[in-house]
Amino acid sequence: MEFLLGITGKDFVLTVSDTAAIRSIVVFKNNDDKSLDLNKHVVMLYSGNPGDTTHFAEYIQRNVKLYEIKNGIELTPKATATFTRRELATSLRSRKPYNVNLLIAGYDVTTSLPHLYWIDYLGTNATLPYAAHGYGAYYTLSILDKYHRPDISLDEAKAIVKKCIEELKTRFLFNLSGFKVKVTDKDGIREIEI
Amino acid sequence: MNPVALYNHEPLTSAAKQHQFDPYEMNGGTSLVIKGSDFCVVASDTRQSVGFQINSRYAPKTFKLTDNAVITASGFSADSLALFKKLSQNLEWYKHAHDKVMSTPAIAQMLSNTLYYKRFFPYYSFCLVGGIDEQGRGVAYSYDPMGSYGPEPYKSVGSASTLIQPFLDNQARVGHQNQQIVQQSEISLESAISITKDAFTSASERDIYTGDFLEIFVIKQGGVTVERVDLRKD
Amino acid sequence: MSITQYNGGTILAMAGKNCVVIGSDKRLGVQNLTVSTEFQKIFPVTEKCYIGLPGLASDVQTLSELFRLKVNMYKLREEREIEPLTLANMISSTLYGRRFGPYFCEPIVAGLDKNNKPHIYGMDLIGCLNFPDDFTVAGCAEEALFGMCESLWEPDLEPDDLFETASQALLSAADRNSMVGWGAVIHTITPDRVITRTLKTRMVIYYISYI
Repeated sequence: MEFLLGITGKDFVLTVSDTAAIRSIVVFKNNDDKSLDLNKHVVMLYSGNPGDTTHFAEYIQRNVKLYEIKNGIELTPKATATFTRRELATSLRSRKPYNVNLLIAGYDVTTSLPHLYWIDYLGTNATLPYAAHGYGAYYTLSILDKYHRPDISLDEAKAIVKKCIEELKTRFLFNLSGFKVKVTDKDGIREIEI
Repeated sequence: MNPVALYNHEPLTSAAKQHQFDPYEMNGGTSLVIKGSDFCVVASDTRQSVGFQINSRYAPKTFKLTDNAVITASGFSADSLALFKKLSQNLEWYKHAHDKVMSTPAIAQMLSNTLYYKRFFPYYSFCLVGGIDEQGRGVAYSYDPMGSYGPEPYKSVGSASTLIQPFLDNQARVGHQNQQIVQQSEISLESAISITKDAFTSASERDIYTGDFLEIFVIKQGGVTVERVDLRKD
Repeated sequence: MSITQYNGGTILAMAGKNCVVIGSDKRLGVQNLTVSTEFQKIFPVTEKCYIGLPGLASDVQTLSELFRLKVNMYKLREEREIEPLTLANMISSTLYGRRFGPYFCEPIVAGLDKNNKPHIYGMDLIGCLNFPDDFTVAGCAEEALFGMCESLWEPDLEPDDLFETASQALLSAADRNSMVGWGAVIHTITPDRVITRTLKTRMVIYYISYI
């Protein structure tokens, strides 16, 4: 039932995650943050097995940090995504694989370009202009197909996200109570209201 | 528990053994139909197999129903033959009752009804009907085993249909698919026959259930002709 | 459904007169859902040799990285480019190394050797090599591609004709398979250069009213 969404624009990436923490038929929490800042310009959204998600996300976050301390350079979004994909692909053939789906969104300060990576628990990494995980993908991808352009502004992206959320509210059987929206651009990562 | 039971290969539970009768078999084989403006080509191979066993190298799957219609089917050959016999009887009765031969579109509808009549114990036959209508135009129809049917410009069914169908899309379609700058002309009888031969010789290279002989029926105003071509025998 | 068909995708390679082509579709899906229409399945190895990796997308990427590493190490040790046959055997051995827990991928190798002789190789997911002298296919539309290639391919085609043959085969096969398509890439490898062309699939407005 979890839903993650990412949209790249002209010079930013907009990411959306639902805030419901659900187990079985019980909603435990309505303001759960399913994202983690890996460094100043890269954010990771995660969904999947509740234990695996936070553990894996923090494991990645700290390894990215360790690399920066060791080498004194910030990892690019692509490097982060490649590293994360490899960790999941290795995990897939281990005794207990992680069940985690990810979106990695980042702004590459070296090239001044936004990046979005779709990674699933099998270790599949796809570079995309817009991406979604979970059942929500079946409702929202067609909206994004219609309205997304590579050069959209932040306001246009926000308008598209509103359309997506509106669709989920009318057609998705589960009422997703809230969404956390983040923007990643040259100034870093910040949360915004939509 | 009797210790001897441990050496017994019979299951220790006393549950009744389940014997299930499976009335269906897959006999392989491939059929094809291509219609033209004033003709129709219906073709099939003649191999009949079960698993890795070849029952017969000459067990025809294509039959003439009237001077204007030919039927072919792949799937379970006993069902197909029973179905053909039933259709032939109905056509005979129709002729005596109405003193005329049933038209090909009417045969097509009748086949659909015949198949749907056995909706819950279907004839395991993937049928094609080809021929000419009352105006002398080529017509072709394809069916699923329950009787869902529709007109087709060309169609392949059976074990090599996945190999042949994209080839027909490419070669038998008016104004070949994926080629935008190409003349839009109706397919000629000569090219329909040549495409059919190519399709089957190619299919018999890769599909073990297709081979031995190819029978090509050509339906035109004035009757049906049959040509037999050799295919791979291995 | 088999795990090798989970992400869709298909690849073919054909040999011609002093040239080879290798082509793939561009779709990445999760069963019925299309996730990407720009997914890379063919990877350059040397200037005259490419590998195609159809199958589970995760393994496609893992293997492409692994083979890049191995080919780079080979180049450093041997101080020369790897030949297609050597590459095919390297891939085959790598896959057989995982005999009892395989990578779900059936690689295809296509290239020209140092004498510009065309080579194409296919193998199964545990590395059983095939040495065809006409064409090889793998992936979700394998059967349709076999039907197309078997009827369209002929010996000693020139690069442009070989490209046209492979394109028609790939496009017609892709259009009959819902797991395959959303565009295609075809690399034509000739002694002096590689021509990479991108094709559209199932985007033509068909003339269907004549039924």
